[in-house]
Amino acid sequence: MDTYQNNQYVKLALVVDDSKVQCQVLSVLLKEENYQVIVAHNGLEAIAKYKDYQPDLILMDISMPIMNGFSATRKIKSLSESNLCPLIFITSDDTEQAYIDSIDAGGDGILVRPFSPQIFKSKIKSLQRISDLYRQVKSLQQEQQKDAELAERLMSGVIESRNFALDKIGMIKQPAALFSGDIQLTALSPNGDLNVMLGDFTGHGLRSSIGAIPLAETFRAMTRKGFSLFEIIIQINKQLYTLLPSDLFLGAAFVSVSEHDKSAYIFNAGLPDIYIMSSDGSVRNKISSTHPPMGVLPELFKGTNLTVLSVEKDERIELISDGILEVRNDKGNMFECERLEESLKKGIVENNVSSIVLSDVIKFCQNMPQEDDISLIDIPCSGWLSSKDNHEATLMKNEDKSIAHDYENGACAWEWRLKLSGSRLTKINPIPIALNQITEIEGNSEHWQNLYTILTELFINALDHGVLGLGSELKSTAQGFVLYFNEREARLAKLDKGFVDIKLSYYPIALGGRIKIYISDSGKGFKYIKSEHREINNQLYGRGIMMLNQLCESLVYKNNGSTVEASYAWKV
Amino acid sequence: MLKKEFIIKAPERFDFSLHQIFRDSYINVESHNKVLVLDLSLTSYMDSSALGMILLLKEHADNVSASVIIRKPNATVNKILEIAQFHRLFIIEN
Repeated sequence: MDTYQNNQYVKLALVVDDSKVQCQVLSVLLKEENYQVIVAHNGLEAIAKYKDYQPDLILMDISMPIMNGFSATRKIKSLSESNLCPLIFITSDDTEQAYIDSIDAGGDGILVRPFSPQIFKSKIKSLQRISDLYRQVKSLQQEQQKDAELAERLMSGVIESRNFALDKIGMIKQPAALFSGDIQLTALSPNGDLNVMLGDFTGHGLRSSIGAIPLAETFRAMTRKGFSLFEIIIQINKQLYTLLPSDLFLGAAFVSVSEHDKSAYIFNAGLPDIYIMSSDGSVRNKISSTHPPMGVLPELFKGTNLTVLSVEKDERIELISDGILEVRNDKGNMFECERLEESLKKGIVENNVSSIVLSDVIKFCQNMPQEDDISLIDIPCSGWLSSKDNHEATLMKNEDKSIAHDYENGACAWEWRLKLSGSRLTKINPIPIALNQITEIEGNSEHWQNLYTILTELFINALDHGVLGLGSELKSTAQGFVLYFNEREARLAKLDKGFVDIKLSYYPIALGGRIKIYISDSGKGFKYIKSEHREINNQLYGRGIMMLNQLCESLVYKNNGSTVEASYAWKV
Repeated sequence: MLKKEFIIKAPERFDFSLHQIFRDSYINVESHNKVLVLDLSLTSYMDSSALGMILLLKEHADNVSASVIIRKPNATVNKILEIAQFHRLFIIEN
């Protein structure tokens, strides 16, 4: 806030008049009002003194030698666009035209001689009041700017710099104001799936940023713990509903891509159509918004589903916010879908979507100011996990196995068990709960990622093939994955009996540990491909069990496949 | 019984700058059994803040057990309402 008070701060006035007597008279009056006074005798001198002294008030004569008052005023006002120094013309010309010309030249008022000292002082007081107000507004504005800069730093520096695979995922972000209401998040799930979110908070600026931090935290923490995309969406909606006032919400597009399953889970709540693009740049699918934005309703609508698609490795998914479609050119036309689709096509063919779309948008709007934030996320359907990382993981694991074999079973340190039945099986995902238990007791470890993969695979097998009785041969074609998923959803919705029983036992061993996993289900068992027959298997199904065999120290199916015992061991 | 309509007509540009005036227009509507009609026939531009303001209108209506109807959005505005899936929250009349 402005800390100046009229009585503490000595103000400076510049008096411009070619008559020394007039200067003297005005100076006396100004000094009585606690002004310090400097004088100039023509327009040119006035400009020089204005630059040197930056006065708080200017009194300007009109007709003077060398440069008149109007020219000097125009120049001074052009020098002081960002700060208001009130300027009053003093003249004996009592005509309408003189008044009009004074204001046109940039004057803030006019005083016509003769005037009494009282009139003169009142005029100055009134102008000073306006300039004080102006200064207050300006300092508030600066403060707001500083806050917005802080929010921007927080957003790009803290929140978005922690995004995953920034080199593989293309992004455009052009905020309309300093601070953007758009937020872009990416995170890697323990099973290698990529979760991405593009969000657009209501409005712009600082106000729209308050939900960004909890949103980013929830998205990352839940992804890391292995919650499914749908569980993350449910939680984000609930959280934003509780946190934000009712006119603040988040239009959002969510995507989870599994390179392994060649599938994508997609949800659009209040953003423009999401594009699934083929490798030749044609539009394969558009996914429209099917739900009000996040934070509008306390719970998602009943029957809300994610869209599941089979995707090829070379396909891409494009998320956009409405700002990009609504960019206007000087004729008032908007960028709109057709131009975007053309631009996306060109970008995909040239393998550089974000740069090409951005340059097309800039070319289109020329120098027109941008009304809304412009955002795009360009997601590949494969390739975010470099093969190098995978190799390293495998080597580590083999080493682990041989070391672990050197130690015989010690005593069991703890056991944990969860048996889910009936409809609870459809509502509860036990894997994050199990991992949370392990982390609570044993702390963090890089090995929990493998354990997550094993538990997820075993649990899904028990639920899908055991309880739900789904045959994995359904998955034998790429499109079959969607059929499989739909059938799974249908059976899950009707599920009212059956169970999956999970038991974990932890055995500390020197320099490491061993976890034994026991999972049994109420199903009739399923066709388990015995390990000796599994060598080369390029089919899409059965891969899960191959992966389990690689990760586990031992893996034994019993009771026709309805019970499984697995053991995972590691060294520190 | 026919419910009494209280009509709010939004201007051509419906955005955050109307926040206060929009709120003032309905905040004193208290009598029950009324329908608050938001007439969008003049509106050609609406931003996400306007959607937020409509949600505040709904909140007020819920508090005084009135209902809200959105009337005559043009094609552009309707697209915005559709993306936000407002037809699942409001009655929208053409």
